[in-house]
Amino acid sequence: MDSLEILDEKLTECPANSEDAGRSSVCEGCPGQTLCRMQGGADPDQEIIDVRMGAIKHKVLILSGKGGVGKSTVAYLLSLALARCQSSKVGVVDLDICGPSIPKLFNVENQPIVQSPYGWKPLVSPNEDVKVMSVGSMLDSDTTSVIFRGPRKTGLIKRFLKDTFWGKLDFLICDTPPGTSDEHMAIVKLLKNVKPDGAILVTTPQEVAVATIKKEISFCRKMGVAVLGLVENMSGLVCPCCKETSEVFPGRGVVSLAESHNIPILGSLPMDPKVTECCENDRNPLENYPESPTVQGIMEISSRLIGLVNNG
Amino acid sequence: MADIPQNAPDHCPGTGSDQAGKSTACQGCPNQNVCATKPKGPDPDVGDITEKMSKIKHKLIILSGKGGVGKSTFTAHLAHGLSSDNDKQIGVLDVDICGPSLPKIFGVEGEQVHQSGSGWSPVYVDDNLSLMSVGFLLSKADEAVIWRGPKKNGMIKQFLRDVDWGEIDYLLIDTPPGTSDEHLSIAQYLKESDVDGAIVITTPQEVALLDVRKEITFCRKVDLPIIGVVENMSSFVCPKCKVSTQIFPASTGGGQKMAEDMNVPFLGSLPLDPRIGKCCDEGKSFLTEVPDSPATQAYKQIMSKIVEYCTKRNENRESDSGEMKTN
Repeated sequence: MDSLEILDEKLTECPANSEDAGRSSVCEGCPGQTLCRMQGGADPDQEIIDVRMGAIKHKVLILSGKGGVGKSTVAYLLSLALARCQSSKVGVVDLDICGPSIPKLFNVENQPIVQSPYGWKPLVSPNEDVKVMSVGSMLDSDTTSVIFRGPRKTGLIKRFLKDTFWGKLDFLICDTPPGTSDEHMAIVKLLKNVKPDGAILVTTPQEVAVATIKKEISFCRKMGVAVLGLVENMSGLVCPCCKETSEVFPGRGVVSLAESHNIPILGSLPMDPKVTECCENDRNPLENYPESPTVQGIMEISSRLIGLVNNG
Repeated sequence: MADIPQNAPDHCPGTGSDQAGKSTACQGCPNQNVCATKPKGPDPDVGDITEKMSKIKHKLIILSGKGGVGKSTFTAHLAHGLSSDNDKQIGVLDVDICGPSLPKIFGVEGEQVHQSGSGWSPVYVDDNLSLMSVGFLLSKADEAVIWRGPKKNGMIKQFLRDVDWGEIDYLLIDTPPGTSDEHLSIAQYLKESDVDGAIVITTPQEVALLDVRKEITFCRKVDLPIIGVVENMSSFVCPKCKVSTQIFPASTGGGQKMAEDMNVPFLGSLPLDPRIGKCCDEGKSFLTEVPDSPATQAYKQIMSKIVEYCTKRNENRESDSGEMKTN
């Protein structure tokens, strides 16, 4: 077999996320073999994580194959909508270690993380009292870069779940970085005993984005995570001048994707410069622009989500 | 001196030292197992990579801390622009293992990579423009590549070592967002390959700038010269009333102010034209499809600044080595 065929076999058979990690015949010669072998076995921290996570009714992942589609923005708006309109107690954990956007969105920048006898106290956002944990809040300055390889990122994510005193919550929203790598495998593995409700997949309309969503669906299927539904973000732009809706990222892929994979569309969010401006300037868009189509959209998505997780 | 990462435990012996992973200070560090089992000493593959890269005149890395700012779009159009000069040979390497967009953007999805005696042949988009991406190696395009860091690093190393680009003028390396395994690997494997520099892409809003500042810090830490910052999606022109809207408001001064604050050159701004996204979906070059768009003009201006940087760098290098010879 020439080397390209072998590569193809290894790509589809990599058992990194299973019990055979590092031990299967396809693992021979793989640079990650030793690391995978060491990942197996019982984890003493898992019990503590199970207890902490057990106090939280619903755990929802926000995923996307593609960067920049608005995962963090959707996580932010959704958590506000759940807290405000559905009277839920909500926490958000930011699993994007290299590019943490959550502290800025939730207006908790420059607040230090304090240790309590029960663990790290999550920051509380002035917007709807959402509890927040992010590596962004642990950095001295916003130019400090977190240059971690996989195992260190995984280690920090574990601490976010194990060492944070989340308390009793209705929802824990897990914002993720783009891709299907260490962070995603870590969160699925750490939450497996407490059965997360599932994942919301965020995309923008254009095909380049929708193509990577298919990979994310494939990831969820392989890892046994339920797909709660799709959110189409940046579905159009309402021009503040003439009020006409224009397509910024043209494409029709989301509807056909939803049909072909039998996944519900939870909602579509157009771009509203007023909402974006709120996100930049620490203001609560639900409070300031309740009539915005984006705010209306996220409120519908939050009530659909409540329906799904309570019936599931 | 072995390198000690930020946030390492106290008395960390350094990831490159003989005591890495084995010292008492290493207990409890999440990286302990990796340090203990990593082979020490120089990596022989770096030599092979350096040799391959020596046949390439200019190596450019396109980075951003933030996802979705248009790295791949920019890389593809920079490649199209550079290859419009038929005398130049351009190669593009896509090291986004989990979300490889470039085969689609170039309109070569589904193509096969072939192996020859001298290595893997990249896929030719045009006579003088070739591409290598993990997207070509997947049996199904919808298949997720769920790899941990070391496996991704291994793939990137193979790409750098085994792809037979030939003697080309420019190699553009498109990266995924972040400052993690892929970026560290690229910096590590290319450290002796004399990379011309990095082009950092951002969008105007502060949420993006936050991540991009970190990326600039990363470049400085790994001694990667920064050619400059490009601000993408600067403004959107409503096709109906022609009024310009800032979709991503530059609430803190945008890319230009950030570049000034971080003391790096600002290469220019690119407006958001919906036809760009459409061209990417269709695998076409926006520069040839919509030559009269303000975005096309902006691309060309930024491109000429990048070419000027590379040419000047070459001249400086040649005059330095000339001086050394006469000395």
